[in-house]
Amino acid sequence: MAKKTFKGRPLLPGKLEGKALASKQPFNTSGSYLENLFGGKKDGAPCTDAVNKEFYKKELAGAILCFPTTVGSTMGGVSLMGVGFLGQGPKAMLYAEHADSVSLAGLLMDDVWNGRRVITIDLLGDEFLEAVKTGDPIAIHEDGTVEVG
Amino acid sequence: MTIKQKTKLPANGGWLGMSDMDAMGPDGKPQPGFDHRSSKPQQADPKAIYQMPLTKEEQAIMDGKKGPELAKVMKIVVAHGNAFGAEKLVDLGGAPHSSLFTGQDYLLPAIDMLQECADAGLKAYAPYTVNPRCYDVYNVENNVTDMRIIYEGYKVQRDLDWVHAQLGAPDLNYRSCACYLDEVGNKPPPGTYVAWAESSAVNYGNSALGLRTNRNASGMEMLCAILGKAPLFGLMTDEGRMSSWLVEIKTSEEPDWGVIGTAIGLKVIDANPYITGLDKYLGTEVTNDNMHLLKKMGSATAAAGAVGLYHVENVTPDAKQKGRKLLMKDYQTYVIDDAEQARVLGNFPTESKGRIEKPTICIIGCPHNTYHELVTWGKNVTEAVEKRGLKTAAIPTLLLCPNVVRDHLVEEEPVLVGAMKRAGMKFTNMCSLSYVGMKGFSERMYAVTNSPKTRNYYPFVRYFTDDVLLDIICTGEIPKGA
Repeated sequence: MAKKTFKGRPLLPGKLEGKALASKQPFNTSGSYLENLFGGKKDGAPCTDAVNKEFYKKELAGAILCFPTTVGSTMGGVSLMGVGFLGQGPKAMLYAEHADSVSLAGLLMDDVWNGRRVITIDLLGDEFLEAVKTGDPIAIHEDGTVEVG
Repeated sequence: MTIKQKTKLPANGGWLGMSDMDAMGPDGKPQPGFDHRSSKPQQADPKAIYQMPLTKEEQAIMDGKKGPELAKVMKIVVAHGNAFGAEKLVDLGGAPHSSLFTGQDYLLPAIDMLQECADAGLKAYAPYTVNPRCYDVYNVENNVTDMRIIYEGYKVQRDLDWVHAQLGAPDLNYRSCACYLDEVGNKPPPGTYVAWAESSAVNYGNSALGLRTNRNASGMEMLCAILGKAPLFGLMTDEGRMSSWLVEIKTSEEPDWGVIGTAIGLKVIDANPYITGLDKYLGTEVTNDNMHLLKKMGSATAAAGAVGLYHVENVTPDAKQKGRKLLMKDYQTYVIDDAEQARVLGNFPTESKGRIEKPTICIIGCPHNTYHELVTWGKNVTEAVEKRGLKTAAIPTLLLCPNVVRDHLVEEEPVLVGAMKRAGMKFTNMCSLSYVGMKGFSERMYAVTNSPKTRNYYPFVRYFTDDVLLDIICTGEIPKGA
């Protein structure tokens, strides 16, 4: 596929290359990690949110997650800290829309307090979500530019 | 229609499988949760990195003048505000309320973060309130089997309770999601900036009390409490408190407050509804005798949608002050009449497959009961039991409330409390959502409730009107057609 470039807002900038795990549905930051958060699973993070058909049962640990925005209980922020603590957090969170306050709180707390950075870029736009498919090669740059393909 | 979490939880999974922000639109498609609602015009380039202005003192704190821990707290709070275009930091008043209450392993990094703050001598800017514990080993889970589930599931509860105590939370008798009850005492005056967490408390505080708080993530509320400041955006601003929905209640008699709350949440998702037609049932003041109605309706709007603020015409502080000037240009209108109320109630999802056939317990009080509710339920149940010539009720009733509210009742109505005990009513200060959803307990019960919030989280819990619940409590059977 032809390479497409999108510019977002680098809330927690970083440089990374890998493959995308994409969903057109919101990512539930509390409901997706139940096996880790309540089961203590440390050797992977299979998505436990059956509402999100595209993520359900997919491996979230170390993933470059692409989605419109996040939903979930207000425990969702500390849930992200929790999976980071278990070594099962994502490598990047790429929001097509504006980051929501709950997930961003958890990402900031883990970044500033524990030095665990999940590269976080929002406002990538609907076109980004239209373009990116699970398995696509993806390159993230410090300035919030994301290349797909 | 709502889409419910169908995930099979791990063996010791808790209540987070259900979300209070899984808002789905009428078309069944997911809607964004709490979103960007900064009131001020955004930068010409919304993708440009924004930095709110800081005072010299705030900058000095960020630079480490008051220690590395407080510097990190400041960095997080400021970065969070920057992302939402906050104008500045504002000083917080009243007292904080925290929703960090589940002592499960995944909270360890958050507990460690707060413990580092406590070790550095930091405290919240005022003594604060905290959500109730998830369990009650005195009155409910008071046997070996249940205690094993509790102590294996909530291994770090001690660490969490202890760090709250060090940071300024009072003793466990004050634990409650309804921190604004007189007996608990966290009820700041209208217009006070606070940074609360807990969806129902934020909803009630913003709406019935006229406070100014965003719907904070768990953890963030504690950092704001330690800093004594919060970024000014969203529901803390005049513009962010405007309504994009006019909701007209036009039922022929007093509505079912849980049903209309659910209907509003499903319709407006995370907007601020301006609700008319309720003052005829409430009067023009929020009092200790009618606050439970707003609590019930509001918590349903927050659970079925993600409503952090509503206005009730002629009743709530913002609405009394500004009236329909709170309505934004091009607002939408939603009418709830008898037919709409019946439609929403009829669509409450129920899940009974593989579960116990008859009710085993009645759960009253999510959010926690007021004193008025305890008296009302106490009188209604004991009178119903006596009227039917029963020694006790067919199923037990759990009344959830902070211990200080229970103590108030014991002091004022000791004879009634005795009769309530004989009728199978128990007081407990735990969180009903956690109890009902906890694996190990959940599959052993068929719960009926008056709580639209509990019902929203768990479709296997049945919601009924108070009259029907009284019947079920006495007979143990669900009446035909209910």
